Amino acid sequence: MEVKYSYLQEQFSNIDPYIEDIRKLVKQGDFTLGSAVDRFEEKFAELCGIPYAVGVSTGTDALALSLKMLGVGHGDEVITTPNTFIASVGAIAMTGATPVFVDNNDSYTIDPSLIEPAINDKTKAILPVHLTGKPADMPEIMSIAKNHNLVVVEDAAQAILASIDGKHVGSWGETAGFSLHPLKNLNVWGDGGIILTKSRDHYEKLRLYRNHGLSYRDEVVLFGNNCRLDSLQAIIAGRLVHQAKTITSQRVSNAKSLDLGLRDLAPKIHIPDRPENMTQVYHTYVIQVEDRDLLLKYLISQGIHAKIHYPIPLHLQPAAAHLGYKKGDFPVCERQCQRILTLPVHQHLTNIQIEYMIETIHNFYLR
Amino acid sequence: MHFTKIPFTNLALQHANIKNELLNAVEEVITHGRFILGSEVSEFEELFALLVGTKYAVGVNSGTDALLLSLKALNVGSGDEVITVPNSFVASTSCIALAGAKPVFVDVGHDFNMNVDLIESAITNKTKAILPVHLTGRPCDMDNISAIAQKYGLFVIEDSAQSVCAEYKSRKTGGLGTVGCFSFHPLKTLNACGDGGIITTNDANLYQDLKLLRNHGLLNRDECQVWGYNSRLDTIQATMLKVGLRYIEEWTDKRRHWAHMYQDLLRQVPQVTTPIDKSYEKAVYHTFVIQADRRDDLKSYLQDNGIGTNIHYPIPIHLQKVSRDLGYSYGSFPISEKQSESILSLPVYPELDSSQVQYIVETISHFYDKG
Repeated sequence: MEVKYSYLQEQFSNIDPYIEDIRKLVKQGDFTLGSAVDRFEEKFAELCGIPYAVGVSTGTDALALSLKMLGVGHGDEVITTPNTFIASVGAIAMTGATPVFVDNNDSYTIDPSLIEPAINDKTKAILPVHLTGKPADMPEIMSIAKNHNLVVVEDAAQAILASIDGKHVGSWGETAGFSLHPLKNLNVWGDGGIILTKSRDHYEKLRLYRNHGLSYRDEVVLFGNNCRLDSLQAIIAGRLVHQAKTITSQRVSNAKSLDLGLRDLAPKIHIPDRPENMTQVYHTYVIQVEDRDLLLKYLISQGIHAKIHYPIPLHLQPAAAHLGYKKGDFPVCERQCQRILTLPVHQHLTNIQIEYMIETIHNFYLR
Repeated sequence: MHFTKIPFTNLALQHANIKNELLNAVEEVITHGRFILGSEVSEFEELFALLVGTKYAVGVNSGTDALLLSLKALNVGSGDEVITVPNSFVASTSCIALAGAKPVFVDVGHDFNMNVDLIESAITNKTKAILPVHLTGRPCDMDNISAIAQKYGLFVIEDSAQSVCAEYKSRKTGGLGTVGCFSFHPLKTLNACGDGGIITTNDANLYQDLKLLRNHGLLNRDECQVWGYNSRLDTIQATMLKVGLRYIEEWTDKRRHWAHMYQDLLRQVPQVTTPIDKSYEKAVYHTFVIQADRRDDLKSYLQDNGIGTNIHYPIPIHLQKVSRDLGYSYGSFPISEKQSESILSLPVYPELDSSQVQYIVETISHFYDKG
């Protein structure tokens, strides 16, 4: 049996309605910041219960534009974690600021107890990552930010519809950046991203920053980038946004089945805590396992497309050499890197496939 | 009374002719599902490099990013200066500011392009690059720009956003400098159905660096060499651009045909100056820009008679709010300033027909006749 990581073929097995929408778009030629973008922004804001949304070209740009709009730049420091996708840190570097890492916790999110020691007079912002779709400890992070007068930008690339006590990600920080990359929970047919904010002022500034700083066709009020969400991608997102809740509950349900089926393998398999007050949306299903590399190989030989998110912590990447970190600086993250394993959890998995994964992992440890 | 409606641009007409080809190409991408840097992107890059005559091409997210990533790859940043022109779309200047460098303007000539006689006096020991803009699709005086660049050891970044297929002494723009930066914005001559851009170069190292910079600095799935951007040309846009490549020569010929027709017919209107083609250049007329007496009145009159026109661009960049810290004022660039008050872009897209061009010229002529 094959259990694929990508589900795009199943998801888009009937593309006629999408092509019909695109046909209309091509006919109208409304390609740049067209009505499809406005409509999707409205729907996405409504879905998450946050007033304003700004569509941008990528999840990376969602973060970089947020930081720039908040005045983060050269000479500033931004605190984040080393166990994320490169883009969280790339976005900080793009603004000219210096990324400062603190270690993460067992749930793969920033360890709030380590943030304060990393703060100095250059610190401008905290960029917590809701990795795997599980929210970081936002109440704690916000209280630290408040005490030290820092801004918070939530990296919510993997966390559409994640919440704590019913409060969605994106409602804590100044802004939250989401990715609509083809393998995200809400996905488009190329690159795309969106920013949520509660602030009308931030919203208006972000709209300038994404579109050359143009207040209207002819007037430039700031040197902005060109980071627009394509109308074509907004059309795809605009259809899928109606399915976001269903997609999310299917992923949550798949994760629960996996949790249930794998729990008896402890301590060979460690499943992070699943706090009841949190909705985590399982962009990825990441567990920590013994003999990870052997298990990974075995799963792949059995047709299961398991992966590692991410095998090299960012502080040990060649790109981070100038930051002066070394092996041993972030022990929790480094240990997890040897043990983490990602299993498919997408909405198109069948029960049979889930059972097969559980059974295959049992076979590996029990043989 | 005969009344024609001629919009300034008409994407719908362009796409009506190739809609099925575009949609079929999109369907193929959906079928294989490689939306990010799929094989259509490298296929398009190869075809585009061939068209321009460079060894390499790197597809990116927009024309602006093409410029920004080029500056980054060439290590132009804080403390550096880049020489460019004030009469362009703002992106040719913002990319310099976004890279952390300082834009330095020089005025343009009567062809709307950088006046090469003014470049040397703008060079300081901080100057790192010259960024000429092939505005309206007319190539800049690249022999002189290259000679100055060589003399002072500067990079040449060609802003070729408007000049796909334009030629200078039988060589395509985008292949004449260190890098060429193109835009595929929907209103460009070779256009995507969204944002897109590409960088052309003959430099193998630069090519490798640009490929890293556009994709998070990733050497492979897991290894990150430098902090990069996410600025990829979408596979879907690349596949539609491949369709456009089949037609670009034909579209360009038509644009040039209408431009030449305007030039002929407008000779009889002394209040209007049309652009002139030099013998050694092939201008592709992304825009056809005349200079006209009583420009604003003419624009309204044309509008009242169903003819859409536009102004590229009404406010020179050095007079924009955003430039207040650059130290320029009204009077700094007299030619650009004067042109901004008289320029008017007429419709010049391939799908026009000759009766429309005639009607536009007649209407202009009538405007001045009636006094």
